[in-house]
Amino acid sequence: MDYIITTEQLTKKYKNFTSVNNVSLHIRRGSIYGFLGPNGAGKSTTMKMLLGLTAPTKGTFSIDGRHFPEDRLAILKEIGSFIESPSFYANLTGRENLDIIRRILGLPKDTVDDALELVGLEEFGNRLAKKYSLGMKQRLGLAGALLGRPPILILDEPTNGLDPSGIHEIRNLIKSLPSLYNCTIMISSHMLSEIELMADDIGILNHGRLLFEGSLDDLRQNALQTGFAADNLEDMFLSMVEKDNATRKQRAKL
Amino acid sequence: MSALSIELRKEKRTGVVPVLLAVGILGAAYAVVNFIVRKDTLLNLPLNPMDVLLTQLYGMIMILNMFGIVVAACMIYNMEFKGKAIKKMYMLPVSVPGMYLCKFLILSTLLFVAVVLQNLALMRIGMTDLPQGTFDMGTLIIFAGYSFITSMPVLSFMVLISSRFENMWVPLGVGVAGFLSGMALANSSISLLIIHPFVVMLKPAVAMSAQPDIAVVIAALIETLVFLSAGLWMPKNLRYE
Repeated sequence: MDYIITTEQLTKKYKNFTSVNNVSLHIRRGSIYGFLGPNGAGKSTTMKMLLGLTAPTKGTFSIDGRHFPEDRLAILKEIGSFIESPSFYANLTGRENLDIIRRILGLPKDTVDDALELVGLEEFGNRLAKKYSLGMKQRLGLAGALLGRPPILILDEPTNGLDPSGIHEIRNLIKSLPSLYNCTIMISSHMLSEIELMADDIGILNHGRLLFEGSLDDLRQNALQTGFAADNLEDMFLSMVEKDNATRKQRAKL
Repeated sequence: MSALSIELRKEKRTGVVPVLLAVGILGAAYAVVNFIVRKDTLLNLPLNPMDVLLTQLYGMIMILNMFGIVVAACMIYNMEFKGKAIKKMYMLPVSVPGMYLCKFLILSTLLFVAVVLQNLALMRIGMTDLPQGTFDMGTLIIFAGYSFITSMPVLSFMVLISSRFENMWVPLGVGVAGFLSGMALANSSISLLIIHPFVVMLKPAVAMSAQPDIAVVIAALIETLVFLSAGLWMPKNLRYE
């Protein structure tokens, strides 16, 4: 199998708390990988490690055959990312913000308009970013990730703060990207229905541990075998997480 | 060069450039007005006319420069933290220590421009208002260089502090505390106090002679390099979380 991102026993500890615990991910080239987990499961931390925002305590990972920190610049040149909340210069307009990123990436000028159009912000490009609504900031963050159409996208809850039509629009956009220019997307979301509609493969994280990794069909098989509800992703996800939580509680009592 | 041009584009609407230019203009205007108003009093002091010109006006100019540096350093990093833009920078193929160096260079250049403006005013006063034959351009240039070099530790220190704290009030508070403690300690005879960057900046203002103190110059250069090196090391080795 051709994996573009792999992690090997990736672990992140903060003093006594283990945020990510021996996570080994395998993300296929050209696929949409849905990363699921309750709040505090370690999704964002895993994504941050992949982007070099935080150092792993243990374990390794490779992105397109390259490793951190020696290949930092080469890796980041290939990744468009959006982590937790949009990051922008409040004193600059949306267009100026994207222009800064464009210059850093050494892209042609028209990529800014392309990105603004992709996220539906072309009308508001000349407005100061600090005057954007939450949804518009979210779109600006996404535009920054999509700038230059990078081969890998790492998106952490990209539809947070968007209205239902915005969610629908962005979901369709994300879904269309792999066929549009052959990119790989790793996306985390709380909206399980959203992931179900988009993802080719999924990874389920709970308390820093990877409970499941595979395709949706594999998950369904797995759920049926273990006697969980297999009607939809939400049911399977909840059953899996609840079972894991119960096991953890039992272990803690012992 | 491209990193510097990107950094300059980011400064748009932050007020960093106007603040230090305003400091230069205000300092120049203060020198001219003060000398016009107090010309006779100043020239009757038992000092060499060049010492009067350079040391008696420098106190206020130095305070303006100090506040200009503190405010500009706070603003230059506040815009990175305000919309969490710095997080995006860490996720882009850009050297974050390089970005730090560019900010340092931008502030140093702006301070240099401010010092030049202030010294142009002193030159004009020296040429027109000092007794015939007492104005010495060499002394003025050396003092201008001395005042710039002794201001650099504060600039280097403030850029370092503002790069480490997301809340702008922290570096601003450190700057004010530095100024107040510097004022209290500048006249002390304890030479070890020269490690305090604000004391170094105040040294030319409390001296009665325009002749540079070599020990102060060396301390200023060392402190500037130490704070700059620390500032370059931190973004490379302490990750943004």
